[in-house]
Amino acid sequence: MAKAFQLLFSRYTLVILACASASMLALPLVLGAIWVKVLTSVTIFAIAAAGTSLVYAQLRLVNLAQVALVGVGGWIMLRLNHGTAFPFEVSLLLSGAGAGLVGMLLAIPAMRMRGLYLALVTLMAAGAFQIIFTAFQFPNGGDGFWGVALQSPGEMRRPLLAPGDEAYLRYTIAVAAICFIIVHLHQETRSGRAWAMIRQSEANAMAAGVDVTVYKVRAFVLAGFLAGIAGGLLAGALKILDSRSFAAGESVLLFAVSVVGGVYGWLGAVIAGLLYRGVPALFNNLGQDADLSLIIFGAALLHAIITAERGLAGQIADAFDGLRRKREETQ
Amino acid sequence: MNIYGIFAVSGLAVGSLYALGGIGLVVLRRATGFLNFAYGAIAAAAAMTAWQMLEWGFWGPIAWLSSILTGVVLSASYGRVIAPGLAWRDPAVKAVATLGYALIILGLISFLWDDAARKLVLPTDSVGLTLFNVRITVTRLIAFLSCIAIVVATVLYLDRTRTGLHMRALADRRDHAALIGIPISRVETTAWSISGGIAGFTGLLFGDLVRLDPTVITFMVIPAIAAAVCGRLESLWLTFLGGLGIGVVEAMLTMFKPVAPLRSMTPFIIAALAILWMQRKQKLTFATGA
Amino acid sequence: MKTLAIKLLAGAALAALFSSGTANAAEPVCGMNNGEKAAGEPILVGGINGNAPPGDFSGGTDGAAAYFKCVNDNGGVNGRPVEYIVENDQWNPELAAQVAAKLIKDDGVVALVGNGSVVSMAVNAKLYEEENIMAMASACAISDCYENANIVSSNQGPLPSGIGSLKYAVEELGTEHAACIGFNIPNNGGWACEWMGKYMASKGKKSTAFLMDPAAVDLNSVYLQALAEGVDTILLMLPAGPALGVLKVAEEQGGRDQFKWVSPTPLYDPSVPAALGDYWDGRLYVNIELAPFDSEGEDNRNWAAVMDKYGQDDDRRDTFSQSGFLSAKFLTEALLEMDPADIDREKVTEAIKSISGKTSDLLCGPYYVGDFDRHMPNHAGRMVVFKGGKFEIVRECYDIDSSYLDDIREQEASLGLTE
Repeated sequence: MAKAFQLLFSRYTLVILACASASMLALPLVLGAIWVKVLTSVTIFAIAAAGTSLVYAQLRLVNLAQVALVGVGGWIMLRLNHGTAFPFEVSLLLSGAGAGLVGMLLAIPAMRMRGLYLALVTLMAAGAFQIIFTAFQFPNGGDGFWGVALQSPGEMRRPLLAPGDEAYLRYTIAVAAICFIIVHLHQETRSGRAWAMIRQSEANAMAAGVDVTVYKVRAFVLAGFLAGIAGGLLAGALKILDSRSFAAGESVLLFAVSVVGGVYGWLGAVIAGLLYRGVPALFNNLGQDADLSLIIFGAALLHAIITAERGLAGQIADAFDGLRRKREETQ
Repeated sequence: MNIYGIFAVSGLAVGSLYALGGIGLVVLRRATGFLNFAYGAIAAAAAMTAWQMLEWGFWGPIAWLSSILTGVVLSASYGRVIAPGLAWRDPAVKAVATLGYALIILGLISFLWDDAARKLVLPTDSVGLTLFNVRITVTRLIAFLSCIAIVVATVLYLDRTRTGLHMRALADRRDHAALIGIPISRVETTAWSISGGIAGFTGLLFGDLVRLDPTVITFMVIPAIAAAVCGRLESLWLTFLGGLGIGVVEAMLTMFKPVAPLRSMTPFIIAALAILWMQRKQKLTFATGA
Repeated sequence: MKTLAIKLLAGAALAALFSSGTANAAEPVCGMNNGEKAAGEPILVGGINGNAPPGDFSGGTDGAAAYFKCVNDNGGVNGRPVEYIVENDQWNPELAAQVAAKLIKDDGVVALVGNGSVVSMAVNAKLYEEENIMAMASACAISDCYENANIVSSNQGPLPSGIGSLKYAVEELGTEHAACIGFNIPNNGGWACEWMGKYMASKGKKSTAFLMDPAAVDLNSVYLQALAEGVDTILLMLPAGPALGVLKVAEEQGGRDQFKWVSPTPLYDPSVPAALGDYWDGRLYVNIELAPFDSEGEDNRNWAAVMDKYGQDDDRRDTFSQSGFLSAKFLTEALLEMDPADIDREKVTEAIKSISGKTSDLLCGPYYVGDFDRHMPNHAGRMVVFKGGKFEIVRECYDIDSSYLDDIREQEASLGLTE
């Protein structure tokens, strides 16, 4: 108990909380309406990226279906919103749980394979979800299981605390901070140690009494849960969802930006979110041709993969370390 | 009218394209360890080049050749410039890196050509024969037969030539191959070129038989990967059969109305089943790499 | 858009289309038409288009932009220039919400004009209502565009244009059973094909919808489905690219003589004749929502003149462009009637809602907005056939019969536009 308490108030979580509070206070005040929306998307996909990064950093497994799971979470959120009177938070948790369950299914192939094959299985899953989303679309208040009607979409309720765009951005940042802390707590406790052993050698982990199956599944469920939360928040932000947002290519792209950002902590996830949603919005706002942004984006991805294995977050951390060392040397 | 025959024949044509795509991927994967996500984008660039050459009034064969050449150049330049820096990385990371290249190519294509409606026509489109009441154009026959030809040629090439031997050696142990003095760079560039040439050819046929739309052709890589997965990313013959099977099943499903909207899932389901089937004997708790 | 050959091709296609005279169009006529540059405080107007794969819907904002430039060179709106800000949502729902927030909340535009985006309409309809801003759209393709109080489009969209082409097919081509081939997008293909079915049923004919996944690779299957169903007519409820794909499959299979071929407006595009080829000569009928590109009417010639003088080289000159020109013209006329010192969003919305009984040779019927919960002023069109490398009119303006228009007809009666 004391240990958990200690972890909860470790420097890492305090940094997260400080950054989150600062951005919650400051950002909506200084930004225009467009950047409030952009940053909401950035934060949402940072949560999703944290899931991809978790699986990759802890188990060295590539999950190329994360955005599809975001779609699953979004689908559940819209369905619950139109079909029940649940408060937003309840629906959000259920969205996370539902996507976590689907994440668990993805863990089944991960029991037997890793590397490229597992990546491809998840890619095939992402492709299948793309077709399902296109065929059945997202609920818009219609009847039946799929909840789709030929009509203008019904009302999507936002949380009582956050009806407006600015408040919703603050709400999203708060949820993201909680998600990052949950991930951190997992990494610092028994799960993290088990994952580390599995990463080194599954046989050794098993010999040391680690239940490999349970911990692998746990990582996938957690990643799916984060994707589901992201999907629920996205549904709340946009109020309708479109299958185009959840194509298989998007999942691959999210994995790519997660690698570029850096998979070893919350900062990397935030950078991934910024790359995934912030940079394209910036290009668009500067009036740059969307096609050109694709080219620059591709080049950045190649560059990052070739030169920066720990991602941009790693480079930032190195820069800080370098500064500190310099200061110590001069003292 | 035999309706099953109609759909089977139609499915074989699309299946040939999946198979062609899968074969190009497998050739490269075997020799270099790269699963090339940019394969579809390279095919798209090739198809657009062919269209542009025809538009400029070049003689047909030159335009067709230019598409294959575009594929070779785009693929080989990645192989020479970027791939060596990633040679020792995890296969999944290598695959993701090619995605960056795909984005660059797709961006360039969309920048050069706007979204106007276009059509790529080959002279072989207007010649054909009738089978099961479906007219099969020579282009579709070419797609099918060239698949077989390319599989046979590649298998012979890998078995009978020195470069082929080198490729197999590289595929087995890259570091050992380097130690015994195999010219890795040259062998790999050859593999990238062959794969690129097949990509260009696939793009040309795809633009003619399906749609001349860069985005559609770019994302054709996903079903092509599904076909390659059916061949364990290794076997050319299984990839060929996988591609054809996917095409036929997908077309046949059109006839069953409840599942018709979901028929595009066929490649993913077949690939997933193939992977699970291949892993069936593995009862170990330990995961294995690919 | 940037290569020489494409420009040349587009130029050749346009030259063919404009062969009957608009090429030597007169000087453009815009707004106050006094030849003076407007220099006052700008009036901010926005526009959202969708230009990324799978389609370029920027014609509407291109047409509107050219017209506003012309207005600004001709006295503006009583001396105040129109500052037209165009954003591209790239077919991305999140971007669509972002750019709408930028235009409406950050920039504070008084109205939106020339909008042409499939995604933005669905995402932003509620925002328009909340912010009490009108969107005079020009390139709509989904139901949300025609079923909201704050969106009014000068183009028809798939529903009237599709029914228009079916009406021609039933009356002139003897259609008994039509296939409606559309995208499986509920408020697009699903919506339109359902109303096609209702129309056919009301005439005692049959109709079968074939909805395909927009990402589906195999167009052959959808064609064979129609073949297996035993239809006699195929209605291509698709964007130009995929529609051409289906036509190509049909060409391979010798489908020209097996079916009658009809389509709503998307196939009426300057780039289509070159892509069609001789095979379809005299066999492909298209319903067009606005006047033909080469028609001699005053507004159409003015559109061509404005595009020549104020358009960009890579602007599209399609139906959407005509439609954007028209929306911009009607907005300018409404603004000109206002006190130039007192123009804000609320008053502009009011002014737009009071537009009624406008006419143009580009349209078959009157244009009006009114204070209603849905808008569809443009629902009568013309029919053309592809012949001799271009499109020829086979039936002049005619309206459609559909119960979808019941509310619309009531609106028209209440505004005194019809009996």
